[in-house]
Amino acid sequence: MTVEAGTAVPSGDAHEGGDNYLTHETGLKSWLFTLDHKRIGLMYLVSVLVMFFLGGVMALLVRTELLFNGETIMEADTYNKVFTLHGAIMVFLFIIPSVPAAMGNFFLPIMLGAKDVAFPRLNLASFWIYGFGTIFAIVAIVAGSVDTGWTFYTPYSARADSSVIWMTLAAFILGFSSILTGVNFIATVHKMRAPGIHWKRLPLFIWGIYATSVIQVLATPVLAITLLLLIMEKTLTIGIFDPALGGDPVLYQHFFWFYSHPAVYIMILPGMAVVNELIATFSQRKIFGYMFVAMSSVALALLGFLVWGHHMFTSGMSEYATMVFSALTFLVAIPSGVKVFNWVATLYEGSISFASPMLYGLSFIVLFTIGGLTGLFLGTLSTDIHLHDTYFVVAHFHYVMVGGTVFGFLGGLHYWWPKMTGKMYDEKLARVSWFLVFVGFNVTFFSQFIMGSQGMPRRYYDYLDQFQPLHMASSGGAYILGLGFIVMAYLFWKSLRSGEKAPPNPWASAGYEWMTTTPPHPHNFAETPVMKRGPYDYHLCTEEELWDGFPEDFEAKKAKA
Amino acid sequence: MTEPQGTVQLPPQLSTIAPEVDDMYYLIYWISVVFFVVITGAMLYFMYKYRRRPGRKAKAPGHATALEIAWTVAPLFLLVYLFHMGFQTYIHGSVAPDDAVDVRVRAMQWNWEFEHPGGVIDEMNLFKVPVNKPVRVIMSSSDVLHSLFIPAFRVKRDAVPGMYTSLWFEATELTDDRECEVDADCPEAHQCGRNGTCALPLFCTEYCGAPQNIQDSAGRNTNHSTMMADVRVITQEAYQEFLELGPPPPPECEGSDDMMECWGEQLYAVNGCVGCHSVDGSAGPAPTWQGLWGAQRAFDGGGSAVADENYIRESILQPQANIVEGYTAVNMPPYRLSDRQIDAIIAYMQTLSE
Repeated sequence: MTVEAGTAVPSGDAHEGGDNYLTHETGLKSWLFTLDHKRIGLMYLVSVLVMFFLGGVMALLVRTELLFNGETIMEADTYNKVFTLHGAIMVFLFIIPSVPAAMGNFFLPIMLGAKDVAFPRLNLASFWIYGFGTIFAIVAIVAGSVDTGWTFYTPYSARADSSVIWMTLAAFILGFSSILTGVNFIATVHKMRAPGIHWKRLPLFIWGIYATSVIQVLATPVLAITLLLLIMEKTLTIGIFDPALGGDPVLYQHFFWFYSHPAVYIMILPGMAVVNELIATFSQRKIFGYMFVAMSSVALALLGFLVWGHHMFTSGMSEYATMVFSALTFLVAIPSGVKVFNWVATLYEGSISFASPMLYGLSFIVLFTIGGLTGLFLGTLSTDIHLHDTYFVVAHFHYVMVGGTVFGFLGGLHYWWPKMTGKMYDEKLARVSWFLVFVGFNVTFFSQFIMGSQGMPRRYYDYLDQFQPLHMASSGGAYILGLGFIVMAYLFWKSLRSGEKAPPNPWASAGYEWMTTTPPHPHNFAETPVMKRGPYDYHLCTEEELWDGFPEDFEAKKAKA
Repeated sequence: MTEPQGTVQLPPQLSTIAPEVDDMYYLIYWISVVFFVVITGAMLYFMYKYRRRPGRKAKAPGHATALEIAWTVAPLFLLVYLFHMGFQTYIHGSVAPDDAVDVRVRAMQWNWEFEHPGGVIDEMNLFKVPVNKPVRVIMSSSDVLHSLFIPAFRVKRDAVPGMYTSLWFEATELTDDRECEVDADCPEAHQCGRNGTCALPLFCTEYCGAPQNIQDSAGRNTNHSTMMADVRVITQEAYQEFLELGPPPPPECEGSDDMMECWGEQLYAVNGCVGCHSVDGSAGPAPTWQGLWGAQRAFDGGGSAVADENYIRESILQPQANIVEGYTAVNMPPYRLSDRQIDAIIAYMQTLSE
């Protein structure tokens, strides 16, 4: 027998102490050597949260140092190491694996109605490689006292010692984890969809993760090539990047951004992917222009490969190359705009709830719009010359990476928390922490736009007196942001300790992942589901499917009626 | 039209290209404001109008292919226009006029060196610029990447080791070089620069690291964020005079009674003369300067001369013309010094023969 969407909902027995993936096996070994994608996803989640905490502490140290001119809490060379740690941890160890590896692992198979990913052992291997790469990266940065910034530009990074090679090696190891996860997801999406999930019924979360996986598989090998060239230069003294040997330092920038620009889309696409789910669920409406939104993810993934040069307009690259990269960069605005317009259109005639995950979803639209529009200033050649390498750029990419990806990640965390843990959290506290995070974020980074357009260069330990008030405001915002995260950590901790039991579908979503029990069955669904409707077809859902309480309460209600 | 006054968003416009850049900035700014207001406005309105209420159900969206294509294609026209305008100004800023003054800029870890036409090398980290005259900056770096950025001129370009890069600008206003103690004493966009006078800041915007325990003359630890120079816009006449006379004496000597002697001693140190020529009579790879002035010099291969002004001048500018007997092992390179600097060295030498 099969479970058919539209005709059946999860049986009530599971939430009453029935089998679920958390209780199925116990002991440390059952976690470390699990092949269950949900457990691997959860381990990724814990790891990236630890990294997020570390990167966040570094961010607060940076902002505290910049509170006053001159030495506040650390010396210049320590400051350089701290901001390098902040950037490298946040990019390579937190944002890149955050949504795809943690939430993608947990929900991609469930949303496909599959039992697991296509290659469960490969999945575990990629987690282990991530763990090894993480330790390697932190040791490389700390032991090599890397102070180059997360971009490791040569020849500065190649001068002192070989720490840049170790750091690239760490990124290379982490890259393998990305590639394996990407291959796994691509195979899963192609081959493991439950009956009834054709491409036009694929949840938009999956479309986003799928596009991300394609970039991971295609772009990450470039990192390996760069590493090989760095090692050859160092050991065989062949001049590739180092001008002292006849190499070209601008070539390194080309290599670096040929990977790292697509990596920007590895970071933002999953954030957008989560927001699709949030907007649809909390407006109870199918995402407007579904196919356009799905294709815009694919378009962004492809365009992401063609615009790396816009990081290098002032680098001494030829004027013709500059022209081509600027023109291509403007094209990125089209699919980004399509997404934003469609999300807003989805709200039209919806039934909008302002539960905490939705607050993050709506914030995403506002913040990503600011992040995207300020990108126009940087894609335009004449204005980029003035703004390049100033705080304007810092503010721009934080609006995209934090206002976009991190808000998407946090929205997803709140949204899927009940499904993952089986516990509800304190909604009031969640709103308080959202408010602090939203306000704190804007105060921190909006002031940096003004500083940047006024000419404050980035990666500066000291600054002119005229920037003092704005630096103070920015640091103040960072403390509010930090406070918001403390409240959030408390509310999730409280939820784990004493949270109420979560019903299977607390947000009344039509999404496939809510059709299973909470927490999910070890095999996701007790029987293979057959999907008779799309994941956003609210108008086709029965009252029972959209019931946000426990199934037995629904039975009671029906009996009463 | 120039706006010497800065705004909340942008510093004052002190170069010919600045108004062009700023017009583009404000165009994009207002386009962004319109888009932002429309998007968030619609969002907030829908959030209020379609908030969840009992008894109201969401409507399923139909197909709106025409609308989708419209908002996919329409922004394209705007984007092409923005690209075109931005590229135009960029090219304008990339091609220097033919009558530009060429200034060589050498970036090195935590200092800027400026060499003006005629080989006039000014003090480190001081960039004198003639007003209303295009200046082409030709940059090189002797170590890592740096980037030259003058916010008030809206120009920026990386200095890359192993190649030349260039930019140009034309300053439109003289610098207000009033005396100051802190940046706040100076007018907008100025910093309190070297010697306690205001100047426009020139930043290094490509991260270039920080050493441990290396301090600049002011006793501060040098690093990427202290790699700044003073831009001083002076009249064309003053610039011409600067080119003819060469760099002025260092501030610690200026105005003192023995200014020339003091300056000569400073040049002796900073130009590396000290490496070969002693001033206390001790032997070295090159003749000592003690007692040199006015002495009879016998040359390798015959001939001799008295060490007078012309002899010293020749020895600095063309060291290989006549080599003193016994010193053929060392090849002294020619030094490009201004007449006044040579005078200062002569004055210093004279004190060593008294």
